[in-house]
Formats: sequence, C-alpha cells, structure tokens
Amino acid sequence: MTKTMTQLKVVNRLHVFRAEQRITQEQLAKEIGVTRATIVAIEGGGYNPSLELAFRLARYFKTDIQTIFSVEEEEQ
Amino acid sequence: MKKWEAILLKSFLYGLPILVVYAVFSYSVDWKNVPQSDNVLRMLYDLGGLILGVWMILAVSLSLRLIFSGNFREATLAKLTLIKERDERESFLTGRAAKSTMLASIAILIFLFCLSCFQVYYYTLPPEQVVEGKTKVISLGMRLDLFADEAGKAADAAAGGKSLWSYSGLPFSSSSIILGLIIWQIGFYHFSIKRMMK
Repeated sequence: MTKTMTQLKVVNRLHVFRAEQRITQEQLAKEIGVTRATIVAIEGGGYNPSLELAFRLARYFKTDIQTIFSVEEEEQ
Repeated sequence: MKKWEAILLKSFLYGLPILVVYAVFSYSVDWKNVPQSDNVLRMLYDLGGLILGVWMILAVSLSLRLIFSGNFREATLAKLTLIKERDERESFLTGRAAKSTMLASIAILIFLFCLSCFQVYYYTLPPEQVVEGKTKVISLGMRLDLFADEAGKAADAAAGGKSLWSYSGLPFSSSSIILGLIIWQIGFYHFSIKRMMK
C-alpha cells in the first residue's frame, strides 16, 4: 500500500486587493511596517508571511485572512 | 547600547585611521639618523605610542564587552557586518544565511584542522642508513598539539639526512587564520543572503 503525500501550497490574492485599493507595493509596505521586497516576495509566492503579518494585512484590507490567503493541495 | 559603550566604540573606530597614519609615520622616518635634538619628531612618536596604548586597552575592553553583552554584540556587530533585519522576512533570511554560514565555516574548520595535523617529510637518508640503494624517504605522520610547540615542530625527521621538502601544519600565522575566518564569515553570510533574496 502506498501512501500519497499531499503538500499544501499557500496562495494569496494580495495583488488583487492592492489593485482594488489602488495602492502601490511601497505604500502597502509602509502601512504594514515591512519592506517593499517583502510585499514583492509575498505576492510572488516566494515568502509565506507569519500569522501576525497575515492578520495585519487582513486588518488593513478590512477582511479576514482566508479571503486573502488560501491553500491548494499539491500531490507529491 | 549604553552611552559609554557608544563612546567606547566610536573611540575604537576613530582611532583606527590615526593608528594607520602613525604606522606610516613610524616606517617612513629613519629613526637611526634622527638627531636627539629633534624634539618635535620624538614627541610625535611618543604621542603616537600613547594613542596606540590607549587604543589597545580600548580594543581589549571592547572585545570583552562583545563577548559578554548580547545586546551590545547585536547592536555593534550587526551594524559593522551590515546585517539588515528590517522586517520578519529579513529576520527569517538572516537566520537561514547564518545557518549556512555556520555550517560552511565548520566544514572549512574541519579541513583546516586536518591540514594542521598532517605532517609530510621528504628527505634523503645519510649514507650510513641507505638500504638497498634507496636514498630518499617520504615520512607521513599526524600531530595533535593543544599548545604551540615550535621546538617539536622543528624536529628533524631527516635525522641527519638532508630535507628535500617538508610539511608540518598550516603555513599561516594564527592571526592570519583568525582574520581570514572573520572575513570568510562576513563574506559568506552576504553571499548566502543575496542568493536567498533572489
């Protein structure tokens, strides 16, 4: 019997929220208290933010975390 | 960082260029031919010596402070080595880069340790010890000393023969190895973090 492992991939809609609010990465970074490189990395999927930062982003966009961040299952 | 620690650090850093000027000055003057009556030159030399003495005391107290005070170490060395931790992502990358730097440094230290233990001697035998016409010998060995033992290092493996080539430990001074490791650590850390940021 073989066990298939699934890996969870965190995806986000941060760029969509940012576009809706019409703010730049630089402005968002300043509001949230991180560097622009971090916003770029989150949007590009290169970095998964901590729970605290995820809550800060959700609070900034007046929504909940699941609306911005979700997980997709990937089979290995 | 406390105020006196900041003063200590600034005095140490600002003293460095003064010492460089002092070193250049000391080497450029031919002290054997300077007349005893040249008080200005002698006074400058003595003043430089005094600054060097004070700077050495500062350097020792600063390095002790760096060892024992975690906050001071973080505030000072992070600035000197250009470590940036402006947000959680940079802290995360710093941790990963520090880990890879530590592991790479341990690998290098193991390599240096091996090199420092190995001994190789290649020499010709004295005529009375020649066996079956074989005049040249390669001698391999290992040596582990906790303390520097120059007399032991210089032990003549050739035992009366003529040494053609020998290797007994690293050919670098302890200062140059320590300086090399400091430069390596900072350099490899920045290389790692740049690679991770891409």
